[in-house]
Amino acid sequence: MTAWTVAAEIARKDLRVELRSGEVLWITIPFGVVALFLVPLALPLDNPLLARVGSPMYWVVLLLFGMTIALRGSAVPTEPQRDALRLLGVDPAARFAGRVAATSMLLWAFQIVLAPATFVLYQTPLPPSWGLLIPVGLGVGLGLAVVGTIAADVTRGLRSRTALAPLLVAPLSAPLLVAAAQASESLANGDSILLPALIIAFTVLGLAVVGVLTAGPLEESAQ
Amino acid sequence: MKLRYALTGLAALALGVGFSLAAQHPPDAVQGEFVRIINVHVPASWLAFLAFAGTLVGSLGWFATRRSGFDSFAAASAEIGVFFTALSLLTGMIWGQVTWGIAWDWGDARMASTALMLFIYLGYLGLRRGLADPQERAKRSAVVGALGFLIVPVVYFSVNVFRSLHQTQSARPDGWQIESSAIVVSMLTNLAAYSLVYLAFVVWRTAQEAELGRARVDDLAGAAISPPTIGVDRD
Repeated sequence: MTAWTVAAEIARKDLRVELRSGEVLWITIPFGVVALFLVPLALPLDNPLLARVGSPMYWVVLLLFGMTIALRGSAVPTEPQRDALRLLGVDPAARFAGRVAATSMLLWAFQIVLAPATFVLYQTPLPPSWGLLIPVGLGVGLGLAVVGTIAADVTRGLRSRTALAPLLVAPLSAPLLVAAAQASESLANGDSILLPALIIAFTVLGLAVVGVLTAGPLEESAQ
Repeated sequence: MKLRYALTGLAALALGVGFSLAAQHPPDAVQGEFVRIINVHVPASWLAFLAFAGTLVGSLGWFATRRSGFDSFAAASAEIGVFFTALSLLTGMIWGQVTWGIAWDWGDARMASTALMLFIYLGYLGLRRGLADPQERAKRSAVVGALGFLIVPVVYFSVNVFRSLHQTQSARPDGWQIESSAIVVSMLTNLAAYSLVYLAFVVWRTAQEAELGRARVDDLAGAAISPPTIGVDRD
């Protein structure tokens, strides 16, 4: 089995566990939509204002609730599962890639639900070249999955995990949020999104390199 | 031990010289007396970068050698980096309020990225506090120490990439961006003094951590031996 096949198998296993538990599908995604619904209630009844904040709110909700998805309980294998995979000689980097792939897919699914909800609730107009937002969303989902997977491993088994993991994820994923919000604004104004796209690409690349390189040593810590 | 005391004495002396120079240079025509903040703000920012680079070196050193000294060095560097990042933000906000008329500007990439850097390393220190086992702590915090450094170049180059309120670097290839040579001399002296403070602190904290580590090993060795029970009927 190649490392890619192993990664695909791990991703499939994680998605199957998620399908059984429904943690993301039935809890986090509806909760994220509720958050989008709550914001207009706290703002003055001003439709142009809502249309302006719609896109930034989309990215903020994606970041905050995406953290919940990336750090979900079923994303962190239990010790017996780890032991079994270690005994099978599964490459830690392939396991990391597989977990990132599964989390990315869940985050992309979250975005598929979140985007129409934003357009409906905030009446945000679609930019002319809205198709360019798709790679931006894919990149943000991937970056968030990488940083979330690293944070989940680093805080595994800690009593303060629920508070500490978001403290690590939020600032590290802030460049993704800033770049994504900038890209949306640039597209709405008809400007180039080259700089935000590069920021997203380099952030994802940097995080992925650190994630792959540290997957092995982090695995040792479970022994 | 002698090195620690010598470094501390040297740092105190350098700080004294730095402060006296900062108090002596003439006030700025526009900023008035508030220009003196530059003697704290710039060295504090420089020290934050230096300290986080130290954390990166310590983290990578730990990965390469698995020696606890590297972990202690990384932790000590992060502690001082967090302190000086907070000091840099605070002095920057005071200076900004006086000079720009605003203490915090969300459009300023340098301010926002510096705050993010502070939070990342607060997370690093929080992680260390949550782990009791020295090996676990060293491994996991080395990952965050290496990962967290990704933000440092972003903070440094933010003033070049995103032009906003914050001015670009004071020292550039085309010369100093500060007109008064007295201010430049005073700032550079403080920069050297703060660097010595960093060295002294790191040496003290690294040694302290090593002593704590030895104490933990002694505890473990003691706990493994139980005294024989005397006068107990074994039947």
